[in-house]
Amino acid sequence: MEKMSQQNSSISNFKRFLLRVFVPLLVAVALFGLLFQYVFEKKIILGSETNGAYKVNRIISQTNPDEIPIFGASQAQGGIIPDILGKNYFNYGVDGVGNNVPLFFVKEECKKKKKSPLMIVYYEISVISHSIGDVSYYLYNANYEPVKELMGKNFKTYFNIPFLKYYGQYETYLRNYLNDRVNLTKYTNHGAAIEKNRVTRERFDEMVKEREKQKPYFLSDTVVTNDFFRVIEANPNRIFVIILGPYHKSCFHLYQDSPETKELISHFRREKNVRLIDLSMKIYPDEYFINTTHVHYDGAVAISKEIRDSIATIKLNQ
Amino acid sequence: MLAASCFFYMFFKPEYILILLFTIVIDYIAGIYLEKIEDHAQKRKFLIMSFIANIGVLAVFKYYNFLNDNITGVAHLFGFTNHIPFLKMALPIGLSFHTFQAMSYTIEVYRGNQKAERHFGIYALYVMFYPQLVAGPIERPQNMLHQFREKKYFNYDNAVWGLNLIAYGLFKKLVVADRLSVYVDQVFGNVAGANTSSMLIALFLYYFQIYCDFSAYSDIARGTAKFMGYDLMINFNRPYLSKNISEYWRRWHISLGSWFSDYLYTPLATAKRDWGKWGVIFALLITFLIAGLWHGAAWNFVIFGLLQGVALSYEFLTRKWRKKLASKIPSAIYTWGSIAMAFSYWCVGLIFFRSPTFAIATKVIHKIAELNFKFNLAQLCGDKGPLNLVLSFVVVFSLMLRFLLPKDLKMRYSAVFLTVITLGIIILGKNVAAEFIYFQF
Repeated sequence: MEKMSQQNSSISNFKRFLLRVFVPLLVAVALFGLLFQYVFEKKIILGSETNGAYKVNRIISQTNPDEIPIFGASQAQGGIIPDILGKNYFNYGVDGVGNNVPLFFVKEECKKKKKSPLMIVYYEISVISHSIGDVSYYLYNANYEPVKELMGKNFKTYFNIPFLKYYGQYETYLRNYLNDRVNLTKYTNHGAAIEKNRVTRERFDEMVKEREKQKPYFLSDTVVTNDFFRVIEANPNRIFVIILGPYHKSCFHLYQDSPETKELISHFRREKNVRLIDLSMKIYPDEYFINTTHVHYDGAVAISKEIRDSIATIKLNQ
Repeated sequence: MLAASCFFYMFFKPEYILILLFTIVIDYIAGIYLEKIEDHAQKRKFLIMSFIANIGVLAVFKYYNFLNDNITGVAHLFGFTNHIPFLKMALPIGLSFHTFQAMSYTIEVYRGNQKAERHFGIYALYVMFYPQLVAGPIERPQNMLHQFREKKYFNYDNAVWGLNLIAYGLFKKLVVADRLSVYVDQVFGNVAGANTSSMLIALFLYYFQIYCDFSAYSDIARGTAKFMGYDLMINFNRPYLSKNISEYWRRWHISLGSWFSDYLYTPLATAKRDWGKWGVIFALLITFLIAGLWHGAAWNFVIFGLLQGVALSYEFLTRKWRKKLASKIPSAIYTWGSIAMAFSYWCVGLIFFRSPTFAIATKVIHKIAELNFKFNLAQLCGDKGPLNLVLSFVVVFSLMLRFLLPKDLKMRYSAVFLTVITLGIIILGKNVAAEFIYFQF
């Protein structure tokens, strides 16, 4: 009898728990979450041009026939200033990715009808590996099939759940947004986000020493590279301006004698619709760099001007 | 519940359950004999048998390589080579915690404060109870064994209270501790790139990181147990308000502090009472030396422990003088001054606690002593950007909001509290999948 009454009380306690705490909690979190997500996506995620998510969304859903895109990883994002190149340039570079991500952008770009045949691709030779970088770039468009394919095993089931899918990423978007508005640590310009601060001289020297000690390597992602060449050949009406480098001179030994690098460069040269700007063995002053593979604002200005001049000759040679 | 606990334990490394089973069987048998036998000398033998089993397992898994490493060092010093092989085994989860919990059972039975548990399942559950198996609190048999005999039913108040504790624990871990780890890991991972300012900030943030990380686990453990109707002891009680190091050990990891006090410090101090106050100091130094080693098999932890022992000895020797001083200084100044000093001293200990090696700990001290406050934004932000640093301070100060809530987190409007906390976790949480720091112990 006592056991029965305890069981009944247990059931009524559980019902009370569901109705007074659990269900209200779920409803309140869902309602607030959806509202918050709506505002956050419109104002913050799509409100910042330097955001990876904004760039992925822009390449998928916007077409500006006059636009000349710049694709690549962090080297592109932090190393090339669109306004220096000209009026219609936009920097689609995203931080921390391998060449597979710029390739995704290139494929999306090739679907568009453009007035200018040009597109600029920064091709990383320092570390050619398969990486999608930060998942925050893809969450807004996570249900778009090519994005899902690009994410591969990084795609998690909870990315289908609104509000929750951005768990742990809200700060990333906010940081980009604030940086776009305030430009405290980075100078931003049409998608580019260029480092304004420097590490200390001692730290820089340490990084150079570490790099010099590194053994030569070449991590060729042949699948991506071959796919990239297929895309180039399938789009003869487009001109691919490929930029290699710049790197700090301490990096040169990593790839200068590599047969794979030489083969890659000569393959680019063989393609009719490729114009190669090879900065990979050019020596630039230390002041141009924030580390051995990325440039500082001063370097970005100088190198953007150099690229602008090279592109001008390319156009003349067409 | 025992099956769930076994599943939980085996989830990490299934074969290690055999080691746990071994010590459980030994302690179970020892407990029965400790109660049965009247002869003191015989009783002592069973207690020692239990100690050998428990400390033996701990020694093999946790201290063998440390000892061997030191033998290698000494041998090298004298021009010899040490051929004793190192063990390549992962540390069983929560080893230090459940070993101490098991030992407290045999000691309490030996002392006659606890009846031996005849039900093997209940005793096994006492050692393996999954909410506190991995990182405590280190429970006492008097508090737990009777609870496992009671039949449990779903209770609204327990469930809501439990959820509040779990939610707050998750907030402390995912929002505060994991956020702070970004800056702290970066600065401690590259001490050479830091200056005095960034090192001091890292140390300040580490204090709150480790507090939130560990107390979060305790809250989650207490909440999970409470949800099911079990009561676990409170393990943290606002340690940052401690006015001295003795008080720290009554507010920080309370279950470990009281374990050492009951089972090591008090017997040692009693045994050495002929030595007068030096007996107390001896007991304090030995206790905290072992407490340091409990945290990890490295010289860093030995120094961490000794620093605690030295502070407590100082406080013991100067207690009259400090009382006089307190009467001469306005109480607010004395109190806040004491809190600041205790906090700073605790942070000095944390240098050894956080640094992976003794050499790095000395580098950290060197960096702080350089007094280089030259401004470099990237350096000040630990190369992680100003937003991360600002958010780190914001989450530390968010802890102050805790003072607005009831101390035990029993609330009238729990649905509101849980909603705010859940939203806070989703929006502010760091998705870094970082382990609880105390899992390594």
